Amino acid sequence: MWYAILILLILRKLIVAQTVLETLGISKSFAKIKANQNINIKLYEGEIISILGENGAGKSTLMNILYGLYRPDEGRILLNGAEFEASSPREAITKGLGMVHQHFMLVETLSVTQNIILGEEPRSWFGINYRKAREDIINLSKRYHLKIDPDEIIANLTVGLQQRVEILKALYRKARILILDEPTSVLTPQEIEDFFSIVKNLRDQGTSVIIITHKLEEIRAISDRVYILRKGRITGEFITRDVSVVDLANHMVGRDVILQVNRTNHETLDEICFRIDDLKVMNNRGIPAVDGLSLYVKPGEIVGIAGVDGNGQEELSEAVIGTRRIQDGAIHLRDQSIKHWSIENRIENGIGYVPADRQKDGLILPFSIAENVLLGNQNARSMIRYGHINRSAIRNRATKLISRFSIVAGGPDLPANYLSGGNQQKLILAREFDREPDFLLVSQPTRGLDVGAIEYIHNQLITMRDRNVGILLISMELEEIFSLADRILVIFRGRILKEFEREEATMNDVGFYMTGGTHRNSSNV
Amino acid sequence: MNVFIELLNAEFLIASVRLATPIILASIGATICDRSGIVNIGMEGMMLMGAFFAAWAAWKFANPWFGVLVGMLAGGLFALFHAWATVSLHLNHVVSGAVINILGFGITRYLLELFFGHPGTSEIIPHSLAEYRFAIPLLSRIPLLGPVLFNRTPIVYMMYVVVILFVWITRKTRLGLHIKAAGEHPIVLETLGISVKKIRYIAVILSGILCGLGGAYLSIENGNSFSEGMTAGRGFIALGANIAGGWTVVGSLIASFFFGMVDALALRIQVLGVFRVPSEIFLIFPYVAALLAVAGLVRKSRAPRALGEDFQIERSGT
Amino acid sequence: MFETSKSFLVIRICTILFIVIGIVLFLGSRHIGLVFLGAACVLWLIGEVLENGKKHLIEVLKSGFKTIRLPLAGIFLAFFIGGIFLLITGYQPLKSFGAMIYGGLVKNWHVSILNAVPLIFTALSITIAFKGGLFNIGAEGQYYVGTMAATWLGIRFDLPSLVAIPLIFIIAGGCGAAYNAIPAILKVKTGAHEVVTTMMFAYIARTISSLFIRFNGGDPTLSAHAYITDSISESTWLPTFKSFLPQANYRLHIGILIAVITALAVHHILHRTRLGFEIRAVGLNSFAARTQGIAVGRIILITMLLAGLLAAFAGVTQVLGLDHKMFENINAGYGWNGIAVALLAGTSSIAVVFCALFWGALDAGGQYMSRTLQTPTSIVEIVKGLILFLILARYLFRYFRRKA
Repeated sequence: MWYAILILLILRKLIVAQTVLETLGISKSFAKIKANQNINIKLYEGEIISILGENGAGKSTLMNILYGLYRPDEGRILLNGAEFEASSPREAITKGLGMVHQHFMLVETLSVTQNIILGEEPRSWFGINYRKAREDIINLSKRYHLKIDPDEIIANLTVGLQQRVEILKALYRKARILILDEPTSVLTPQEIEDFFSIVKNLRDQGTSVIIITHKLEEIRAISDRVYILRKGRITGEFITRDVSVVDLANHMVGRDVILQVNRTNHETLDEICFRIDDLKVMNNRGIPAVDGLSLYVKPGEIVGIAGVDGNGQEELSEAVIGTRRIQDGAIHLRDQSIKHWSIENRIENGIGYVPADRQKDGLILPFSIAENVLLGNQNARSMIRYGHINRSAIRNRATKLISRFSIVAGGPDLPANYLSGGNQQKLILAREFDREPDFLLVSQPTRGLDVGAIEYIHNQLITMRDRNVGILLISMELEEIFSLADRILVIFRGRILKEFEREEATMNDVGFYMTGGTHRNSSNV
Repeated sequence: MNVFIELLNAEFLIASVRLATPIILASIGATICDRSGIVNIGMEGMMLMGAFFAAWAAWKFANPWFGVLVGMLAGGLFALFHAWATVSLHLNHVVSGAVINILGFGITRYLLELFFGHPGTSEIIPHSLAEYRFAIPLLSRIPLLGPVLFNRTPIVYMMYVVVILFVWITRKTRLGLHIKAAGEHPIVLETLGISVKKIRYIAVILSGILCGLGGAYLSIENGNSFSEGMTAGRGFIALGANIAGGWTVVGSLIASFFFGMVDALALRIQVLGVFRVPSEIFLIFPYVAALLAVAGLVRKSRAPRALGEDFQIERSGT
Repeated sequence: MFETSKSFLVIRICTILFIVIGIVLFLGSRHIGLVFLGAACVLWLIGEVLENGKKHLIEVLKSGFKTIRLPLAGIFLAFFIGGIFLLITGYQPLKSFGAMIYGGLVKNWHVSILNAVPLIFTALSITIAFKGGLFNIGAEGQYYVGTMAATWLGIRFDLPSLVAIPLIFIIAGGCGAAYNAIPAILKVKTGAHEVVTTMMFAYIARTISSLFIRFNGGDPTLSAHAYITDSISESTWLPTFKSFLPQANYRLHIGILIAVITALAVHHILHRTRLGFEIRAVGLNSFAARTQGIAVGRIILITMLLAGLLAAFAGVTQVLGLDHKMFENINAGYGWNGIAVALLAGTSSIAVVFCALFWGALDAGGQYMSRTLQTPTSIVEIVKGLILFLILARYLFRYFRRKA
């Protein structure tokens, strides 16, 4: 009896399942870069598909086209079989498209209810009918098993709950198709599991879901089908059941997963150039973000810190360079405690820093290249003497660095905001390397850069290591850590959870500890 | 001790309300504007414009009610300029506000000469709104509060309405919700298909209308003529009240009333001559109070996150 | 290397010397001064070429032309609109503006210069704060403090000029700086925005100034306004040009020289020194500045101190040079006009000098115009407002170009 019903259901699904969204040969270019080329994707009713691709593969462009933020150069979109040309997000919303952005689109100071109803407020004669809104939301959350307190302020919610609000926001607008952009990048393992069950629940109630991600494991755990996007093209389509992670990885990257770096073996010196003991640092909300973290770096080695974003990496680097107060613990450069040193002192005594946000913390964009080279060297006698800037000296220095680091720039007087992202990063590296630091803190050195720039920067870091600089590398990209680091530390909730020698580490093991190391939900693939 | 008893009586409270009214109006304007993400330091200029045009209309048409309307209109129109410069032209908010102030001084001065034929002070208006004082039956009988709050002149009553209206707008209406969202995280509104530009225009113009009303109060209700620079920094004090009040309508109300009380206190001390110091020294009280309030309270409250930031959507991506 | 940098220095010093000599002679009604000014220009060009290369110079001139193009167009447009306004209200625009230009640039040119002196200082004060990312909207307050300090000292000092004048500059300037230190410290420690705090301090200073006048020679029995203080002793008067160039106008004092030299010094500090570099870095991106070891709080404090000092200098030159006493002057407006000049100059400290002269000429010309033709002076206010409005043309232009 049950089997019969099940078979009937499956048959019904096979027969009735309709295409809800289809793209036909979509292309989109920005200046010279072809972000999307001839993309063909189909989405059936009640199905979860993934679009898998590296950073810069064209995922977000595709998503923004679907959502009506960009207009495609070529190609058409069919929504429920009808031509769909969204010129604004509003239109996409009314047609039943819902989107959950990677950076949540929530107003932190407003309540859950207010965020959900924003723009679609139920009205009464007296203004917004909050009672009705509240009831609607409670009904919605019951129906989709998305438990939430409608009166809570967003800022008080965990990231996982905030994501839930985003999903509810889409469902409140009667979304039949849900696009999720990198949904798990900020979630804890527990939250990821909850998230998976939510998405499956949505599917079972007939919502179609597109998950955009660069994480291989989740694909296996959740999606029915997967499209692989590489350099703006679809390079593969698979039924998830039939494909292995290795296959997916190869299709996604187009070569071996580990980037090619001219990595020579290098003997590390048997001393310690940088040490952190039991460090405790608060985040902006006054909650410990780094909580009892210890590590050391030897001259001539690269120590990689792997971890999911938001586990204290940012606060750690700010504490090391000195822009954030240290609550407790110690930091030593060679044998000196630098805890109470000014930033100026730290720089002068041999700490180099490549910040994660290069445009905010690394460069002053309206300044010329030469002035940016001077930045941080205010005490260098060769550039400033008796309080006066030696302009020809800094210009010569900048010219030298431009050629040594092959920065593509018109000259030393060009403002830094005329440089491409890769060249801006090279400029920062050039400046830091030029100071000949003993210890270098590098955070997210290749985020958003193209492959050429990434390889160049990786090789430069190796060169620095070979000159016996101790390097601490913080990165969210496991591949980067694996291709550079001599030792790998896994950070989780502000402490080092596990340490690996490079030879003994596997991606699976590191990934396992990155998510807390308690349950192997996603590493059994 | 005696001195203080003498200071704090009904008369003192009446004077406090009188002096606080324009500051309350302008600081609610500042709150609305700031909450939408636009900094408004041009309130001094907007108040001056309101004061001048109110006096001019009340004089020209011999009707102070007409003056109120024209004053509000002038403030609103002047604010439109600020909205246009900051929202559409993406001009720095503070720079635009400064230009608004300079223009406010310049234009009123010029028009004063043009319309009244001499600089300094305008003609005295035939009927000031103070003539329309009326007591609300029953309510005005309440001891102490009655005469202080419910036996007043028209714009004071309007101020009560404004306070209630704006508490309602910020707490209960779509407009209020959208204004708050525009000041915190404008992109959210755009992803939901609501125009940030429109919301910010509305908020700035509303604040201009309130400043205009506050200015009108100075020239045709509290006084009976316009004189150059008669706002004497009240626009800036209102800005301070808004900050000290934590960017909320009720907070602004309380802070402004406090400044009004300080002002009244200064006047009272001057009149009584209780201290052996020149009485002008007490004129600095409201400024010092605003200074201390801003410095002391700014940390405790949180400014709208997108306050003062330019907003622009990059759709083309090129 | 050292030798060449020494020759730069010689050229720079010569340039400044020529500028000073040129101005002095010109202000002394000797037209040969213009030759010196021309020579100074040539020297400056040579210096630039020697130090930075020809290409750089061409770049500088090009960008200079680009930045000056639109404000110039704006000024013409403002006069045009103002003319239409005059026409409508029944005056003769061409004749009026003719009189204005004649009055401001030819007949009463010395008044233009006298008007410009305090404006240069206040505008410099606002400019240097702008560069540090701060808005010293209360420059008027520091101006009042400078005025009060100079008057107080001037009345009491009985020292030879050479000692008294520099001493007054230093002490009064220090008072202005100290006065601005409070908003600066509040800004760094509590985050209170300087727009509110400096403005409050401006109103406080203005209120106190009327008291000050009462107790320094004004009539203490008059309660509200007690118009004038005692005169300062003659040894503290700034020398006039007439004292060494008999043809010069008798009111013209050397304040303009001090102002121009100060403008050059501010330019030098901002662009050639470590302090200026740090100020600009903090102003453009305080996060990066901090990450690169610049003590942001200290720089904010120093910037505000310098701004206070410069604004106080405006008051000092006004008292020592022109008024020799302090008036109850409710709408002196040097603070607000200084903001206008600084905006017009687009945060360039050299452009400040020219813009202030222009602004001063507008006032002087307006007065002459109304005296001779009975056209209301306040048309100047309208033109000023329009000009200020049209500076935004720069932004307008950018806006429309982006839209297209």
